Amino acid sequence: MKDDVKKIKIVIAGPFAAGKTEFIKTVSEIKPVTTERKITHSKEKQKKDTTTVAMDFGKIKIDDKHELYLFGTPGQARFNFMWDILGEGALGVIVLVDSTDPQTFHEARRIINFFQSRYPIPLVVAANKQDLPNAWSPSDIAIALDISEEEGIPVIGISAKNKEDVKKALLLLLQLIESSLKEE
Amino acid sequence: MALTGDLKSFSFADILQVLHSDKKSGVLIVEWKDLTVAYYIKEGEVVLARPVDKVFRVYTDRDFERLLEKLRLNERSLAETIKKFLLPRLDNREGIFSFTQGFIKYPEKVPVYFPAEYIIMEAARRLTLEETERKISDELLVFEKTQDWESKVQRANLTDKERLVLELIDGTNTVKDLLEKSKLDKLTLYRTLYGLLSIGAIRRKKKKVARKPSISLDLLAKLIEKIKKL
Repeated sequence: MKDDVKKIKIVIAGPFAAGKTEFIKTVSEIKPVTTERKITHSKEKQKKDTTTVAMDFGKIKIDDKHELYLFGTPGQARFNFMWDILGEGALGVIVLVDSTDPQTFHEARRIINFFQSRYPIPLVVAANKQDLPNAWSPSDIAIALDISEEEGIPVIGISAKNKEDVKKALLLLLQLIESSLKEE
Repeated sequence: MALTGDLKSFSFADILQVLHSDKKSGVLIVEWKDLTVAYYIKEGEVVLARPVDKVFRVYTDRDFERLLEKLRLNERSLAETIKKFLLPRLDNREGIFSFTQGFIKYPEKVPVYFPAEYIIMEAARRLTLEETERKISDELLVFEKTQDWESKVQRANLTDKERLVLELIDGTNTVKDLLEKSKLDKLTLYRTLYGLLSIGAIRRKKKKVARKPSISLDLLAKLIEKIKKL
């Protein structure tokens, strides 16, 4: 029965144009379900033509009884209510930042703060667009995001177009989840 | 790796936080609307502010001591350049910045008249409420002092109000509690927290994971294998 399949949820969050939809597309086994619409805000339109307005999701089948769902949240602050809906019951969060745009770092920190104070679940920051020449290094981004060692949030450099990079980010999150499961 | 951006979205407090925290050396160039200034950074400290007419000129001077000779500056006048070309510009957001690491050779000792902590706090005092909310975005956040907070605060020259906030930071008070207990206005409190965070005197307290992840270790192992094989 299809309904017997248990859904496991990972949230892919991040500021506007950080690459969330691309991240999901790169590893999903189904054609991701997207809710992209044409951008009407002129400032946002300078970056891309469409944006996610509800959520994206991609799926990876684990076995006959379990599926992993990757939920992408809309990036703009006006869609913050979606973080609450998607955070509930999630196994972990990957927060994407655009390494070439420091403006997105603050927004990423806001997202981290949100999840940490409401859903303190394992979290990884993926510094996307590392393939571009003006990308900030993951270590500089960690400082800009005020991520201290004690906070235990790894910052990993990726290109969301690259499948191996996306797998690396997911595996890092799963390792954190494993450690938290093994903790006394 | 590049360190470039726009002062509207990444303030001086943010830039210096990154440079100081990682003890970077090099030159930070800020192209304001009216002026371009090269800020010479040694191990995360601003040691000289030099207005330039063309950016490329900065890269022709690769020896700091020779540069001082060329500009006829002595050690004491270094402080004056910072007073004139950095401190009054901390609230000016009309500029773009880029930091180039390592091309200039600094002598072992260069005097630091305005420690990075001092400049960061000065910059934080000029932030708008909207800007402070980039870091202090949630009233439920809890902060705690870092191990070496005392040495950082000593170099920052805090005001009485900022000291009061620091005293109240104990790893249990939320931002909302701090607002009530300090009786400060929101902007002053948020600016103080922003500055203290940026100088590394405080950090966000990690919240303990309230519940175990809802997955078994066996299933997690299966999932890890599946991702590896994708």
